[in-house]
Amino acid sequence: MVLRYLSELKDLLADKPVRRLVLAAAQDLNSLSSAIKAARDGFIEPILVGDKEAIQNIANSGNIDISGVRMIHEPDTELAVGIAVKMVRSNQADILMKGKVGTSSLLKAVLNKEWGLRTGSLLSHIAIFEVAAYHKLIAVTDVAMNIAPNLQDKIAIVNNSVACLNKLGVEMPKVAVLGAVEMVSENMQATLDAALLSKMNQRDQIKNCLIDGPLAFDNAISLESANHKGIRSEVAGDTDLLLMPDIEVGNVLYKSLVFFAHAKVAAVILGASAPIVLTSRSDSDQAKYDSILLAAAVSKQE
Amino acid sequence: MTASCWQQLSQNRNNMITSLSQMADAVRSSGKRYRIAVAWAQDNNTVGSLYRAVNEGFAEALMIGNRDQITRTCHDTGADPSRFTIIEADDEKSAAVTAVRMTATGEADIVMKGLVGTDKFLRAVMDKDHGLLPPKAVMSYVCAVEIPAYHKLLFITDTAVIPFPDLDQKVAMAEYAIAMARKFGIMKPSVALIGASEKVSNHFPNTLDYSVMCKMAQRGQISSCVMDGPVDLFLACDPDSVRIKGVDTPLAGDSDILLFPSLEACNPFYKGLMLFGGGELAGMICGTTRPVVLMSRSESELSKYYCVALACLMASKND
Repeated sequence: MVLRYLSELKDLLADKPVRRLVLAAAQDLNSLSSAIKAARDGFIEPILVGDKEAIQNIANSGNIDISGVRMIHEPDTELAVGIAVKMVRSNQADILMKGKVGTSSLLKAVLNKEWGLRTGSLLSHIAIFEVAAYHKLIAVTDVAMNIAPNLQDKIAIVNNSVACLNKLGVEMPKVAVLGAVEMVSENMQATLDAALLSKMNQRDQIKNCLIDGPLAFDNAISLESANHKGIRSEVAGDTDLLLMPDIEVGNVLYKSLVFFAHAKVAAVILGASAPIVLTSRSDSDQAKYDSILLAAAVSKQE
Repeated sequence: MTASCWQQLSQNRNNMITSLSQMADAVRSSGKRYRIAVAWAQDNNTVGSLYRAVNEGFAEALMIGNRDQITRTCHDTGADPSRFTIIEADDEKSAAVTAVRMTATGEADIVMKGLVGTDKFLRAVMDKDHGLLPPKAVMSYVCAVEIPAYHKLLFITDTAVIPFPDLDQKVAMAEYAIAMARKFGIMKPSVALIGASEKVSNHFPNTLDYSVMCKMAQRGQISSCVMDGPVDLFLACDPDSVRIKGVDTPLAGDSDILLFPSLEACNPFYKGLMLFGGGELAGMICGTTRPVVLMSRSESELSKYYCVALACLMASKND
């Protein structure tokens, strides 16, 4: 299956059981409003962990109706995050979402060795874009978590992302490993890693996807460009997943898609035992809402 | 080989040379004669291998060394010294320098090592000002091997020169072997990058180089070929193994070229083929501006003759 619009996430969720989302330190207007909206639309069941009074005040100030929503009172942020994480671990929740807490504090709890959500895999970020100029949704990784992934990290990032896309119904995602050029050069590590990832995929050491790289951005997303360059590739022009060489490239691409191409985006953190919604204040309400739907769509189905 | 000869060859043999004897035939029937400068030529092995080539008309031997000793060697081996051009030299070093310089200046087409030590000979070949190795060029060794157990010639590299090739050197090795295969009329050779298995692993750094090379070939950064690796020897040369292992490789057990990860892997492989596999070979140094013949004295008489013929084939112009 191929998705063209993020709104199709709703179709994916239509006949699935409602997922339970726990919002850690829920006294946060942005995340609270998105979570409650997704709940009202019937896609998730929210659990708010945090300072009850502060949550109620925030809800009132934002005209958010939280009547009937389950709340766990814990005024201490660190403890609230711990409760939220443990709920996911003990299967009382399916999705973890960041509220009014620093990203590093949340991830520290997620990575706690005793009661965290480690799976042995690297945590990685996936952003799925709806771009007018492209014929399907396109995923980009990693634009937010891994700064300068080495080859082993890239393998883990691809595996995380492929599993996520598989859950969205993309059976054999086409993965373009981005470089500045499509040629291999010893002076550009990204191109060497790309060649290795391609061969490992060909040898079935990275499964359930089709990898080609290095590909320059234009080759990856435009068959015409690839043909013009004489590149023979099953991935070129039909990419499902763009693997970034590092966070700088990824972050700039992410932001240019949003600001210049007016792309819609949904993003989650993968690699933990449950998807983590970790939006930032600068994300649009729509992006937060779609990220919750994405998390619900890729969370474990009983 | 001249253009007309190539055309003739392509008409006669579908443009492919599939055995070493065919290779020698092609050189012989080209009608061209190649001048071979021999460094310190008073050596039974050298005289023996050249004499047949000279008699067959495709080689002209410029024997550089001690005239008396060369003449004596000819008598010992039953060769007629008048068939050779003898050029007097005082010692092995000056013989090597003269032989290389004559080749560099075009007085000879090919240079060949005689009784001179390999190190002195190669030093002359690699001399910056008067040698045969362009700046930054990689010097390597390619052998064409014929064995009864394989259905065609195998080009293998590097049996003799580079101990532990890095990525650039491996690419150069592949290019030389591809260029040689093309001279045999194999226009898109299958190149197997040999490892212990087909898996890519950090623990085997050569498998990383191989992966990079495959992508370079795919992107046209290496001359036209079908390249895959890492593969083990079975996947490279045995279609049954490819089927049984279920590895998706375009080589399909039909490789033309085997590139080995190290000299220590490649050298015993070719020697095993010679010693136990009933093989013959033709090998030469590649990367130089003119062919350089350097062979082990333990090669068979026939292989030595083939080495000379191969150098002539490689000295021929395609145009």
